[in-house]
Amino acid sequence: MKNRQPAYRDETASSSRSADSPLATSTRNLKKRVPFAFAALGAVLALSACGGAVHADSASGPTGEPVSGGTLVYATGDTEPACLDPIVSGNVPQALVSTQYLEPLFFQDEKGEIGPWLAKDWKWSKDRLALDITVRQDVHFTDGQQLNAETIVENVAYIKDPQTLSSTGILAVEKVASVEKIGEFTARLHLSEPDNALLEHFAQVWVPIQSQKALARGAEANCLSPVGTGPFKVESWSKQQEVVLTRNDEYHTPSPAAGHAGPAYLEKIVWRFLPDHAARFAALQSREVDVIDVLQPQNAVAADADPALDTLIGSRPGHVVNLTFNTTTGPLTDVRVREAFVRSVDVNAALKSIFMSTVPRSNSVLSSITKFNRQNPEAYSTDVDKANRLLDEAGWTERDSEGYRTKDGQRLSTTVIQNDSILVPVSVLEQFQNSAKAVGFELIISQEEPASFNARRYAWEYGLSPLYYTKNSPSVLNIVYDSSHIPSVIKGGYHANNNGLIGSSANDIDKALRLAATTGNEKQRGQQYAKAQQLVDAQYLSLPIFDQQTRLGFRSDVEGVALLSPLGMPTFYDTWLDRS
Amino acid sequence: MNTHEDLPTIITDLEEAMTQGTQTAVIESPSGQVPPALPGNRPGTIVAGGIRRLGRGLGPGIIVPLVFLLGLIAAAVIPSVLAPSGPLDMNPAEAFTAPGAAHWFGTDESGRDVFSRVIHGARSSLLIGVLATAIGLGLAVVLGAVAGLGTRAVDFGVSRFLEVLFAFPGLLLALLVITILGPGVVTTTIAVGLSAAPGYARMIRSQVRSVRGSGYVEASIVQGRSRAFIIRHHILPNVAAPLFVLGTLGVGQAIVWASSLSFLGLGATPPDPEWGSMLSLGRLYIGNAWWLTVFPGLFIVLSAATTTLLGHGIQRKLKDK
Repeated sequence: MKNRQPAYRDETASSSRSADSPLATSTRNLKKRVPFAFAALGAVLALSACGGAVHADSASGPTGEPVSGGTLVYATGDTEPACLDPIVSGNVPQALVSTQYLEPLFFQDEKGEIGPWLAKDWKWSKDRLALDITVRQDVHFTDGQQLNAETIVENVAYIKDPQTLSSTGILAVEKVASVEKIGEFTARLHLSEPDNALLEHFAQVWVPIQSQKALARGAEANCLSPVGTGPFKVESWSKQQEVVLTRNDEYHTPSPAAGHAGPAYLEKIVWRFLPDHAARFAALQSREVDVIDVLQPQNAVAADADPALDTLIGSRPGHVVNLTFNTTTGPLTDVRVREAFVRSVDVNAALKSIFMSTVPRSNSVLSSITKFNRQNPEAYSTDVDKANRLLDEAGWTERDSEGYRTKDGQRLSTTVIQNDSILVPVSVLEQFQNSAKAVGFELIISQEEPASFNARRYAWEYGLSPLYYTKNSPSVLNIVYDSSHIPSVIKGGYHANNNGLIGSSANDIDKALRLAATTGNEKQRGQQYAKAQQLVDAQYLSLPIFDQQTRLGFRSDVEGVALLSPLGMPTFYDTWLDRS
Repeated sequence: MNTHEDLPTIITDLEEAMTQGTQTAVIESPSGQVPPALPGNRPGTIVAGGIRRLGRGLGPGIIVPLVFLLGLIAAAVIPSVLAPSGPLDMNPAEAFTAPGAAHWFGTDESGRDVFSRVIHGARSSLLIGVLATAIGLGLAVVLGAVAGLGTRAVDFGVSRFLEVLFAFPGLLLALLVITILGPGVVTTTIAVGLSAAPGYARMIRSQVRSVRGSGYVEASIVQGRSRAFIIRHHILPNVAAPLFVLGTLGVGQAIVWASSLSFLGLGATPPDPEWGSMLSLGRLYIGNAWWLTVFPGLFIVLSAATTTLLGHGIQRKLKDK
């Protein structure tokens, strides 16, 4: 791309994990050590002072002017969405694809700052119970419908409609009591209580702005062909095969992080579903596809050694990939047993061996790119002696014939459920099983199909479960750890993320989280989230493992691949094929 | 290799062999006294005789697989003696070590010794192979005998039922059984056994019918012998020899099927060292650590080839006779 002024950084700094180093784990082509560039570029430099996308160039750099046209074939290793509209349910597979055709009201940069996108202005009332949002007047959806105040009213109503079966979206507008049109292009949101995360919610692709005309068709039709303002539009969807996206030739609303203006370069994107990791990487190697996601560590190592391939890896915000303890039943109701498990396993050894050191360790329940994350390595370090001591204290002092600890004739045993889509491979659990056995703790691994995995999770039929929750706000803690969410398994919802902790510790956590969500003081918000994390750490409600990541592998003649803030989803708006 | 795709060929071979000369008649004297059975008339003596005959004309085609099979059996019986470490012993610091003096077959992603896991895996693979074949043959003998000895209507019913089962490829039938019963080693064994049964049953039925129509059985019926007597003294001895061949061939096939099911994540559960599941996991690292797939794969191939070669060897010997 012409006039690029990439901001270089050393990938070895990826272990830096403070909130000041956003997307710290984003790496590209480690072996060649070619740094990645942020997107504040060239002509649009002035518009994008804060950046917000992680871009990748080939090792030699683009060879010339971006070329318009061509078809990009993307193969996802994530599951196929049941609906292309991310309001319905609301999960990562939907976010991956819908980032290409839907856009939200606000843009949130990698520092967490909110800026305009489809909304050009916003204003809070003094009591912070009303928010006026003014949208751009020059935007039309791909079905011709103009964006206006009515659009916001209809979008919020659609999310809140129980028939829509929204999960992520409905939690995002939980505090929005009503919406009224107060001008042609201005809508007023009335809140039941102040919500510090509301603007962040409206910066997610899970709360996009869709054509009210399209929404009126009903959820079923909208699922097949949602209509937004994005650089591409949904052309067709052959289930279990591919979604075809074509260029929106009228496009003129790029995010502040974009590298150019006007329509996208690519004419078409074919979005394929290839869940088998080995087959997907083989398809990339054989030029059958241009870009793949869920790039496995061993394949990232192989891609780095291959001059025809590049990689782009970036952290996603939210609750990290972790093993969540079910605190409602069995030995894990005892915090000493939970800590003993955490102390007995060696997460670092697993990341070094199985992930080939391509994934940094997380010592926080919040992702390293999420505001107010608090790394606590002391709490989550391996300490086998302490594990043994804690289990002795907890009364698990006898041993059975297989060497496992027992109490009152019961073996110290728990079950972890596993499904590959939750990013914790079974081999990691095997290592944990082995380490836990050394302190007399039996860990049974139960591999599940996606449906049975979710069924067991919703029914609380597990001791440990690998989980994560992608969200561009520390308020993800309110969803995961506020005890008021314990019974709120939303019908048709994707996540039931809570551990079931009750009692005085739960009350303290709730108090901190609720204050953090409503205070008008940003500093106090930070303090309360820090306190909540401290309490969560002390209760050992989960074992953080690593940041969720978007892991792309692509042909090196694919230029301008980028990850878009705040969710770190791939965006192909600036992408072009250097195949002349 | 003896895979399910080869089954029709093997079936044809065997049916041919059976009709060509493996039948043995028990001739009854007019007084109704049964003379001492000829050598090879009873299952035990047939097997012993077969082994003796094999011993006389062993070529490398028999000796090599036999030695390998004995090695596998040793691995299954005394894995701890042959393997340098336990199948579950981990050392993440040594993950992905290439084959060498310290680790003959290298190490996996958790630093487990692949050679030790392959050796320990022999037990489950052989056990599944033998037990599944036994289940398949057991069921087949019952079905084949019922069809072969029953009335025309019973024969028709059983035969059509077998044909319906034949409409499903064996592995698909096994998948169906696992879907109903749930994954696991025991289920896999049952599933593989059930899936192999229709093929065996059809062969046994044709053998039983052919013996049933023979003169000596007719003579026996005329003499008023009971059905049980006829089955015991005429039918079973004639079915035993091909059953043994079938069983030997079947073990290899069952090992491949069981490995296939484990490969699909429906057989052995982690971290059990089972060849199919090792192959499945190793496949993810095929570009980085070839030894994770090559060695378990090699053992699946060799064990299936071994039993197939032995089975064919025995079959040839019986044909020669």
